[in-house]
Amino acid sequence: MPDQTLTKPLTKNICPQHKPPDIERYQDNGGYSGWRKALGMAPEDIVELVQKSGLRGRGGAGFNTGLKWSFVPRGKGSPAVKYLVCNADEMEPGTFKDRLLMEQNPHLLIEGMAIAAYAIEARTAYIFIRGEYHLAAVRLEQAINEARQAGLIGPDILNSGYSLEIYLHRSAGNYICGEETALLNALEGRRAIPRAKPPFPQVSGLWGKPTVVNNVETLCNIPHLIELGSEWYKSLGRCQDAGSKLFGVSGKVNKPGTWELPMGTPIREIIEEHAGGMRDGLKLKGFLPGGGSTDFLGPTDLDLPMDYDAIAKAGSRMGTGTIIVLDDHTCPVGLVLNLSQFFARESCGWCTPCRDGLPWVVEILTRIENGSGTPEDLDLLQEQVARMGPGNTFCALAPGAAEPLQSALRLFEEDFIDHIRKGRCPYR
Amino acid sequence: MPTITIDGKNYQAEEQENLLSVCLTAGINLPYFCWHPAMGSVGACRQCAVIEYKNTDDKHGRLVMSCMTQVREGGIYSVDATRARQFRGGIIENLMTNHPHDCPVCEEGGECHLQDMTEMSGHTMRRFRGRKRTHRNQYLGPFINHEMNRCIACYRCTRFYRDYAGGTDLQPLARNNQVYFGRHEDGLLENGFSGNLVEVCPTGVFTDKTFSKHFVRKWDLQSAPSVCEHCAVGCNTAPGARAPGNGKDPILRRVVNLYNRDINGYFLCDRGRFGYDYVNSEKRIKNVLVACEKNIISSTAAPGERIHGEIHPEPAVKHLARHLAEVQQGRRRLIGIGSPRSSLENNFALRELVGKNNFFSGLSARDLQLLQLVDRTQRDARIHCPTTPEIESADAILILGEDIDNTAPRVALAVRQAARNRQKRQAQQLQIPLWQDASVRQLRVEASPIFFIGLEKPRLADITSATLLGTPEQTALFADSIAQLILGDDTGARKLAPDCRAQVEQVANTLRQAENPLIISGCGSRSSDIIHCAGKIAATLADTSSSPCSLYLACPEVNSLGLTQFFPAGEGDLEQLAHTLEIHSGTPCTLIVLENDLYRRADRHTVERIFNSADAVILIDTLLNNTARHADLIFPAAATAESQGTYINSQGTAQRFYAVCEGASYIQESWRWLVDAANFCKQKSPQLATIAAWRHSMDLSEALAANFHQFEVLEKIGPDENYRLNGLKIARQSHRYSGRTALGAKAQVAELPPHPDPDAPMTFSMEGIQSPAMTPLSAHIWSPGWNSNQSIIKFQQEINGHRLGVRGSVPIRRQPQPLPEWQLAASVPAKTSKTLTAVPLYRLFGSGELSVGAAAIASVTDIPFAQISREDAQRLDVTAGDIGQLQLGGESHTVEIRISDAQPPGTVGVPSGLPGLETLAALLPAPAQLERRSDREPGETP
Ligand SMILES: Cc1cc2nc3c(=O)[nH]c(=O)nc-3n(C[C@H](O)[C@H](O)[C@H](O)COP(=O)(O)O)c2cc1C
Ligand code: SF4
Ligand code: SF4
Ligand code: SF4
Ligand code: FES
Repeated sequence: MPDQTLTKPLTKNICPQHKPPDIERYQDNGGYSGWRKALGMAPEDIVELVQKSGLRGRGGAGFNTGLKWSFVPRGKGSPAVKYLVCNADEMEPGTFKDRLLMEQNPHLLIEGMAIAAYAIEARTAYIFIRGEYHLAAVRLEQAINEARQAGLIGPDILNSGYSLEIYLHRSAGNYICGEETALLNALEGRRAIPRAKPPFPQVSGLWGKPTVVNNVETLCNIPHLIELGSEWYKSLGRCQDAGSKLFGVSGKVNKPGTWELPMGTPIREIIEEHAGGMRDGLKLKGFLPGGGSTDFLGPTDLDLPMDYDAIAKAGSRMGTGTIIVLDDHTCPVGLVLNLSQFFARESCGWCTPCRDGLPWVVEILTRIENGSGTPEDLDLLQEQVARMGPGNTFCALAPGAAEPLQSALRLFEEDFIDHIRKGRCPYR
Repeated sequence: MPTITIDGKNYQAEEQENLLSVCLTAGINLPYFCWHPAMGSVGACRQCAVIEYKNTDDKHGRLVMSCMTQVREGGIYSVDATRARQFRGGIIENLMTNHPHDCPVCEEGGECHLQDMTEMSGHTMRRFRGRKRTHRNQYLGPFINHEMNRCIACYRCTRFYRDYAGGTDLQPLARNNQVYFGRHEDGLLENGFSGNLVEVCPTGVFTDKTFSKHFVRKWDLQSAPSVCEHCAVGCNTAPGARAPGNGKDPILRRVVNLYNRDINGYFLCDRGRFGYDYVNSEKRIKNVLVACEKNIISSTAAPGERIHGEIHPEPAVKHLARHLAEVQQGRRRLIGIGSPRSSLENNFALRELVGKNNFFSGLSARDLQLLQLVDRTQRDARIHCPTTPEIESADAILILGEDIDNTAPRVALAVRQAARNRQKRQAQQLQIPLWQDASVRQLRVEASPIFFIGLEKPRLADITSATLLGTPEQTALFADSIAQLILGDDTGARKLAPDCRAQVEQVANTLRQAENPLIISGCGSRSSDIIHCAGKIAATLADTSSSPCSLYLACPEVNSLGLTQFFPAGEGDLEQLAHTLEIHSGTPCTLIVLENDLYRRADRHTVERIFNSADAVILIDTLLNNTARHADLIFPAAATAESQGTYINSQGTAQRFYAVCEGASYIQESWRWLVDAANFCKQKSPQLATIAAWRHSMDLSEALAANFHQFEVLEKIGPDENYRLNGLKIARQSHRYSGRTALGAKAQVAELPPHPDPDAPMTFSMEGIQSPAMTPLSAHIWSPGWNSNQSIIKFQQEINGHRLGVRGSVPIRRQPQPLPEWQLAASVPAKTSKTLTAVPLYRLFGSGELSVGAAAIASVTDIPFAQISREDAQRLDVTAGDIGQLQLGGESHTVEIRISDAQPPGTVGVPSGLPGLETLAALLPAPAQLERRSDREPGETP
C-alpha cells in the first residue's frame, strides 16, 4: 500500500553511509511502482495530474511542469518523433542539489524520466549531464543498464507496447549549456548558443521535433506524485507551492549542505537549523536565495518562506533554491566581482549586452576592488545592469548575471562607495 | 495587410513581416547589424531595439528587438522613444569596447556599416577604460584580408558562409567576447562565394585583398552599372575605378555587387568579384601592335608566330581603311569573326562592316549548334526561363550534365537555397515566420529534392538527394529514360542497371509530383543529346501540368546567346569558314577577329587553315593570347568596365552595361576601331557611310533594335545618351570625390575637363545626379547616413523587391517555336584498351578565359592535370601525382595525373580552358591517350 505519510520522496532512499540503491533495493523499497502505475494510465491523464499537482520546474524558472508538457502536440496527427531531455547541467554557482539526486538515487531520475517521456509520447530521452559530474554519470549509466535489463525501459516495456530509450550525454562544459535551448543545440552537436523563442522546444526542439526539457529534480518528483496523487503532493508544501524541495546553503555557515524540506520552509529555519547558523563571530550580511544568478536579499528577509511567489515579491528569485550566504567579513564587491567573472567567462558570445557588457562590468569591478574606482563607475554599472535587463538580451544568462550586481549596488552601496573613497578594499 | 503605428504615424505592413523590415521599407532609419535582407533575423546584435506598446493606454511599453518582432494588426511601436534610443546607443558603446577605432587605416572606412550605425545611434563618447581584447589574424588566401580585432560579433559572416553558401571552413570559434570568426588554421577560404564576406561583414574584418593593392576610399571611386563578363549568368556589378594621379590613366580597382533581384540579388561569385583584375594584367593590350618585319636572328617564338611592336593608331587605322577600300573595289575579301564574349554592339558593327555572309561566329560547329539548340529550346512556349527567386522556390530540381558550381556559380547558390523549401514549408506549418532564420534552420526536414546527373561530383552534393555520375552519353541515357518515365513509358529505364533504374524512377516520380519543378542543364557537357533531353523533360512536364516548366540552360559565355541570334541554323561556324576561305583562295583576304582566341574555339588544324588562307589577320582584343601571335595588327579593345554595350545572358535577358572608366592609353570599344577605319575611307559605300556615321554606343543598340526583332527591347533598356534628369547627366563620381584637380596636376595645374562620354547619359565627373534614388543608372549605392552597400535597401520597392526605377535588364523577345520531335540515337561508345574519351571538367578559377588573367585568380588556378578513374589508373600503371603525357586531337600536353573514384572508367577528365590546356577545350569530348612520363614538370610544353 503506498505510504501517504511520506514526506521526503526525493531523498527517502538516500543514506550518506550507503551506496546508492541498485535496482533490486530500489524496487524493494517501492521503486518503479509509479512507473508501473503510469503505464496503465492514459498520457493525457498523467499530464493533467501533474498540472493539477502544482509541481513547478526546479531548474530555476519555476514554470508549471504539467502545463509545459501540455504544450507538446500529442495524439493522432502529431509528429511521430518527440524527445524528453533531462537537464543535468547544474552549473549555477552555489548549486549542488541535482548532483546529490543523481549520485545517490539514480533510479528515481530514470523512473521520473520514463513517466515524463510516456506522458508526452516521447520514445527517446536524453540526460545532458555536466561534464564534471563523473560519479553521477557512472551511476546513471549503470542505472540505465539495470532498468533496461529489467525491461523497465527499452523496447515494449512490460508488454505495454510502449518503448523508450534513454541516453546519457556528457557536456563539454559551459554554463550556457544549462539554458534549455542552448542545451538542445549542444546536444545536436552545434555551438551552445540559445535559440529564439518562440518556437518553444515543446513545438520545435531537439532536431526541430517537439521536446520537453526538465530539470533533474523536477523529474525526480514525478514517480511519487503519480503513485500518491496530487492531493498528497500538494500537502507536502508548507505554503502555496506544492511538494518538497532540495534546499542548500553555502557560505560561511557551520554546516553547509543540502536537505529535502517542504516548499515554503522559512529561510531562517534553513540557515539556522539545517545549516547550523553562521560561523562564530560572523554575522549574516545578505544572501542569494536561489543560486548565483538571483538578487541579494538582506537580514530582514530571513523570515520569508522559500516559495516562488514570496521570494519574487521580495525582489529576488527562488531560482534553484540553493542559498549563498554573505557574511559581514566578506567583501560584497569581491563576491559580485567573482560572480561576474564567472558569468563574463560563460557568456556564449551571441548577444552584445552580455558578451561585451559583462567583461566591462568585470573591468569596472576589478578597478573598484583594487581601489581605482571612480564615482562615475557606479553609474556605469547601473547602466550596464539596465542594458542586461530581461528582454534586452537574447537569453536569461545576462539578466541573471545582472541580478546579484544590481541588488548589491542597492543593498551594499556603502561598501562600493567605501572602496572608491578609500581607494582600497576595506575588507583587506 | 496589418496597419501599425510607429511614432504616431500609420503604416501598412506586409503580413507576417518583421518590424525591422517594415521600418526600413518605410524609410525609417533604424540601425541593425545581424539582420540581412537575404538571411533574415537572428536577434544577436540587439541593435534594432524599439519600444512596443500593448495598447494606447500603455505609456511605458516594452523594449523589443524589431528584427525579431512580427508586426501585428494595430501594433503600436516607437523607434524614437528615448529609452529605445539610449539602448541602441548603449549597444554601440558596448560593441566599441573592443573595436580598435582604426577607421583611418581601415579599408572599410567610408563604406562601413559600423560607422553608419554608430552615427545613427548617436553614441559619441568613449567611457570604457579597460584593455581591448585582441586577436591574431589569419591568412585566408589571395582574395580576402582578415582583421579580427574589428569584429563586432554579428555572426553575419559565418551565417552567410555556412548557412547560405554551404561553406564549411569558416566558423565561429571560442565563446564570450573572445569569439573568433575564422578557419581552424590559416589557408585559402574554400567556398567560391567567399568574396561576399567583404560586403556581408558590416566592419573591416573581411576586406577585398585585390582592392588593397590599389586601394582608395569608396567616395573616391567612379562607378557605373555593369555586368559581370565571367559567365553567362550576367550578374550585375558596380565596378570602381580611379586614376592613380600624375596624369595617368584610371585603374579598375574592384568590383562590388549591384543588386538585381532577378539575377544576382545581393551576391556574386568569386570569379565575378575578383576576375576584374585581368583588365590590369601584364597581358593587357593597351596600344596598337603591329607585327615586326625585322629579321629576327633568334627568338623564343614558335614558327608562324610574330613579334609585335607598338605603333601609333593612325597608320594602323589607315592600313585597315586601305583594306576596306580594296574590299569596296572588289580586290579583297573581308571576313569578320565575332565573339561570344563581346557585346551585341561590337558583333553587330563587325557584321555590318563585313556583310552578313562574311560574318562568322568564331565558334566551332559543335558549340554553335549547342547554342542554337539552347535558343531553339527556350523558344518553345512550354519552356520558362526562371529568375533567381524562381530557382530558389522550385520544389524539385534536376541538374543534367551541367557543373553549375563552376559554369553558372550564382545559379548554384540559388539552387542551394531551394534545398530548404521543405524546411520552409514545415516552418510555415509550425507558424514560424520565414525570416526567423535560426528557428527555421533548426528544423530537421528532409531536403527538397535536388538531383544531379553528370560527370563530376558537384560541390552541391551535400544538398542533393541523389547524385548519378556518368559520362555525357550515360547522362543523356538517364535523362531520356526520365523523360519517358514521366510519360509512363519504362522502355528506357528497364535497360538500366537496377540501382540506376531505381534512382531514375525516383527522379521521374518526384518531378511529376512537383508543383514547381525546375530542370537545369546547359552546354557544359558539350552534348546536344543532353540539351535535347533537358528540353524534352521540361516540355513533357509542361504538357502534363499544362503550365510552362522552368528550364535553365547555362550558356558558356557572357554573350553566347546574343551572338547566336545573328546566325541561322547551320551557318557561321569556323569549320565552315575554313572551308569557304579555301574555296576562294584566289582573292587576298583580310580577317578581322573580334575579341576572340580561335585556338580555344576549334582544333589547331582548322584554325591554321583559316589563318593560312588570309593574308592579313587583324585582331581587336583585350589580352594577348594565342591568336595574337598570328595577327598582323592588333587593336586594343575596351573591357566590359571600359565600355558600353549589351549582353544577353542565359535567361535570354538583355542587359546594358556602362563604361565605368575610360580605357588606358589607346584602348577603345572594338566597334570604334571599325568606325574609325570607315571614316578614313575616302570613298564610302552606303553601308560604309552608315558605319562611319555611328557616334554613340546607342546608335548601334538602336540599329540592332531596328534590324532584329529579338533585339527590339534594346531600345527600351536604359535611356539614351540624350537623357537628362533636371537637366543633368548622371555623375559617375561621388559628390565626395576628392583631388580632382590634384590628380592631373602633374600634367597640367588647371583642372582638366572631364573625359567626355558621348554614349551614356553619364559624366566621368562629380557633376550631375548623384542619387541612386533618382535613377538606377547611379551605381554609387549611397544614401544619407548609409555609406555602405547595405544602403541598397533604400532603393528597393520593398525589402528584397525590385530596384526602384527603370530596369536595365529586359528579356529579348524571340519568335515562339515548338521543339521538334526528337529521339535519342543509340550510341555505342567505342572502347579500345588504350583510348580514353576526354571529357570536359570545369573550374571556377581556371575555366574562365578572362578571369585567369587576374593575378589573384591566377595564383589559385590549378596546374594542368588529367583526371582518370582508379580502374584506368591501374590499367595504365599510373598513380596520382605522376606526370603524364596527354595525346588529344593531334596535340600533346604534359599533365599531372589525378585519380578520382567518381571519374567514369574509360574517360579522362580534362579541365576546360585551364591555362596550358586551353587549346584542348574546343576538342572535348574526344578520344585521348594518357601515359606516364617521368622527365617533365606539369605545364611544361613538350
Ligand atoms: C544561463 C542558464 C543556465 C541554466 N542552467 C540550468 C541548469 O544547469 N539546470 C537546469 O535544470 N536548468 C537550468 N536553466 C534553466 C533551463 O533553461 C530550463 O528552464 C530548465 O531546465 C527547465 O526545467 P524545469 O522546468 O524542470 O525547471 C538555466 C537557465 C539559464 C538561462
Ligand atoms: S545573454 Fe546573450 S551572450 Fe549571454 S549567454 Fe545569453 S545569448 Fe549568450
Ligand atoms: S567578422 Fe564581420 S561579419 Fe563576422 S561576426 Fe565579425 S563583424 Fe560580423
Ligand atoms: S555567377 Fe557568373 S556572372 Fe555571376 S559573378 Fe559569377 S562569374 Fe560573374
Ligand atoms: S538586427 Fe535585430 S538584433 Fe541584430
